[in-house]
Amino acid sequence: MGSRSLGMTPPSLRDTSPADGGGKRFALAEWQLALPLALAFAALFLAPLLLLVGVSFFNDDKITQPGFGSWVKFFGDPFNYKVIGDTLLLGVKTVCATIVVGYPLALVYLDLGARLQKVLLFIIIMPLLLSVVVRTFAWIVVLGREGMVNQVLIGLGLISEPLRLLQTELGLVISLTQIEMPLMLLPLISVMSRLDPNLRDASAALGASRWRTLFTVIVPLSMPGLVAGCLLVFASSTTAFISQTVIGGVRLIYLPLLIWQQSLVVYNWPLAAVASLSLVVSVLSVIAALSYLGRRSSGHLHG
Amino acid sequence: MIRQPFSRRNLLAGASALGGISFLPGLAHAKGSIVATTYPGTWEDAYRGVVAPMLKKKDDIDLELAPLFAMDQIGKAKAARGAPPFDVFVLDPGPRIVGMDGGLFEKFDPKKLANLGKLPAGFADDVGVQVSAQVVGIAYNPKKVPAPKSWADLLKDPWVSRLGLTGFQTTFGTSSLIELSKLFGGSLTNIDPALAELKKVLPKIAAVGLPAAMPGLFQQGQCDVMYTNTQTVATLKGKGIDVEFVKPESGSIAFYTTMHIAKGTAELANAYKYLDLVVGKEVQEALTKPPYNFVPVNKDVPLPADLPMKSLDEMTKYVEHDWSKINPLRAAWIEKFNKEMAK
Repeated sequence: MGSRSLGMTPPSLRDTSPADGGGKRFALAEWQLALPLALAFAALFLAPLLLLVGVSFFNDDKITQPGFGSWVKFFGDPFNYKVIGDTLLLGVKTVCATIVVGYPLALVYLDLGARLQKVLLFIIIMPLLLSVVVRTFAWIVVLGREGMVNQVLIGLGLISEPLRLLQTELGLVISLTQIEMPLMLLPLISVMSRLDPNLRDASAALGASRWRTLFTVIVPLSMPGLVAGCLLVFASSTTAFISQTVIGGVRLIYLPLLIWQQSLVVYNWPLAAVASLSLVVSVLSVIAALSYLGRRSSGHLHG
Repeated sequence: MIRQPFSRRNLLAGASALGGISFLPGLAHAKGSIVATTYPGTWEDAYRGVVAPMLKKKDDIDLELAPLFAMDQIGKAKAARGAPPFDVFVLDPGPRIVGMDGGLFEKFDPKKLANLGKLPAGFADDVGVQVSAQVVGIAYNPKKVPAPKSWADLLKDPWVSRLGLTGFQTTFGTSSLIELSKLFGGSLTNIDPALAELKKVLPKIAAVGLPAAMPGLFQQGQCDVMYTNTQTVATLKGKGIDVEFVKPESGSIAFYTTMHIAKGTAELANAYKYLDLVVGKEVQEALTKPPYNFVPVNKDVPLPADLPMKSLDEMTKYVEHDWSKINPLRAAWIEKFNKEMAK
């Protein structure tokens, strides 16, 4: 049932492990081919990152006195720990919400026919084709005091006063869930459509219920896609300055807002650099932990 | 089909195309061009729609506009370190002082403006020239709430639960919070009373947001009262939104938007021509009309009817703030606002 479509995975979604790759003949050419990108990466990303690290070791906003002043100021203020914590927590909440909504959708995708799969894939990708600014402002119209959600609820007589959805973390997580959803679904679908449909039938034949099959067969095997999706959603939602400030307002303070204020409002670049590096390091460490867990779980599966 | 790799004709075409490209900047230079910043939104529309064609017609100069907020202009100019990415700045009082301190402006010679005599005394100095005035007060939706009378009304019902609040990022936000603070014992350099009063009613406040998001939130009915300038009110009104401007009892706040020539510009003469055109009667008059709704600085231009003052002279009685005193405190204020308002 539905397994018919599973064999029709596009080639790009197939596994391209080195084992079935070109072999040693291309070893030299491969790194040479990567050179242009590597150089561009070094010049446009690595060099500015090092500059950022350099700028953070100055005490004053004129960038004249070297020292640890900005680090001491930033980490001496307990408020900033709360901001870092809130930022990471926002990422975790968004990741959880995208899993809860996205995973079932990926399962539905697997069971659809090829034509419907294409339609669903288009719907999933569509938000990516719109500017994030447009998507964010659309959410204002939906979640606002006089927005769609409130009008429907008032119309149904469920509430008498409009709910406050904008400028709350709940509203922000709801909108980020939609905005980041493609980043969760695309890797998830690409991994899940590679699963051998026989595994499900085998599990059923051995007497497992559908739920048991889901949790002992499908979920563990889809782990690499799930982890990749989590990484993308986490990194993207913790740094989503526009959505955070426009939907969340400025009472919800996350690191991107602090960085913007320090760099473009008060011009304290060393402090902005410290805040930026804290964002990079804290997000990277969560990502490292996630991908370690992901590798462990897939290593466990493949022996 | 096999394609001919090279032919004399192809080579010739390629060579002349290359020659043409290298020839182009020379052409552009001969006509004259200038890169000027403008604020995004109404300013950009007005300068693109009105000023650029007039400059082209009068002086045959191509006006290239870089839409940037004041703070972003300073940031970019500072980052460019001596090679300005644009020739002319447009700034509010606070950023103007930051630019002066950073040595970002060429020394300005007002005598080079043919229209100098049409400007009120003191509107041009050796830093730059005032090109527009801004009047800040309270905007409200007359269909949702009664008209507020003073800054203090913002903290009372029914206004407080419909209030859209912004912080110290903008000139109008900072000025409004200072005026609010004054009513509760604060001063130009002490905004703590305003924050303390705001904190008491914080759970009631409808929205606390970035300045750029406020007109959108007002339009969507998320908030029905906010502090802003007359131009934003006129623009919202032009879009058919129910909004009125109120001059608070303690007086509206007035400040001037200035233009400055970037230090190290290669287009000095053109920059003066541009600035002279901007303060001239033709541009100033065109910009006062909807949908632009600027407050003019040229004495020959009559003030639009729905402004709270009859003449530019009246504006001297409005509240003005000394930004050289505000700037050093602003970073700390922004930090304080974050902490006091954070959930």
